[in-house]
Amino acid sequence: MTELRTCKDFCKYLSDYLDGQMSADQRRLIEEHLRKCAPCELVFRSLKLTVDICCRAVSDEIPEDVASRLRAFLREHCGKDEVT
Amino acid sequence: MRPEYEKRHNGDRQTVTRVLEGDFTAFETLVEKYQGRLFRHLRKMVGDNQQAEDLLQETFLSAYRGLKGFTGNSSLSTWLFKIATNNALMFLRKHRPELIEYADEIKVDLDYPFLTASPEFADSPLEILLSREGREQIEQAIEALPLIYRTVIVLRDVEGFSLQEVSEITDASITAVKSRLHRARSAVREALASYYMEKDLSS
Repeated sequence: MTELRTCKDFCKYLSDYLDGQMSADQRRLIEEHLRKCAPCELVFRSLKLTVDICCRAVSDEIPEDVASRLRAFLREHCGKDEVT
Repeated sequence: MRPEYEKRHNGDRQTVTRVLEGDFTAFETLVEKYQGRLFRHLRKMVGDNQQAEDLLQETFLSAYRGLKGFTGNSSLSTWLFKIATNNALMFLRKHRPELIEYADEIKVDLDYPFLTASPEFADSPLEILLSREGREQIEQAIEALPLIYRTVIVLRDVEGFSLQEVSEITDASITAVKSRLHRARSAVREALASYYMEKDLSS
């Protein structure tokens, strides 16, 4: 991993940091930097917010007609096949 | 393995065993459980409801026919999403090859993210970000991403798969997944930040 020195370096690893992909030392460096650097803290906060809202924004509801056609399709086609 | 994950994982394996013993109702239980998430994933990949529906049907039919090939090494959801992803990629290669050929192009300023780090976005309350209009913005920002980035962010941040699982589903290395995810998240962040900055200026 590149040495963490400039804001650019830190921002490069914020996504990995969010995913818990950093060592304890690297985590500590990032956290220290975020406490001191307001612009990076803002980038981090908005990146974290992006991740948090993505999972809540896109519905996984399936329209009833799509589900019902799927059921009919599978009943028709799977009945003819053995599970292999 | 996390206890909740293990419980779900074992539950699915028991249901799969019943399907393999000839219980079609058990298969319908699995279909009901995963149809919504798979439909969402396919819609995001191909960008078209009708095509996503056809691919959803193909995905479950392939899964049923190949169920003995499910070894249980990965979770059933990972296995199903891999089938769906491969079906969608095959379709796109045939009908929309340009989406795959130019997949590497992504417009995002990774060097200077500060320019678009707006407090208007970061400090917006969740009820605004997740209002109907807010959700549309998020969907649009995700849909604007090139295919490989869109696929990774949907699998990781929308579907909640681990990096390892995303790597299995997309047949990409963990390093590639992490890099794509970083770029995808940055691009979505940038799009949302710009939207809320402009919205604030015009209000």
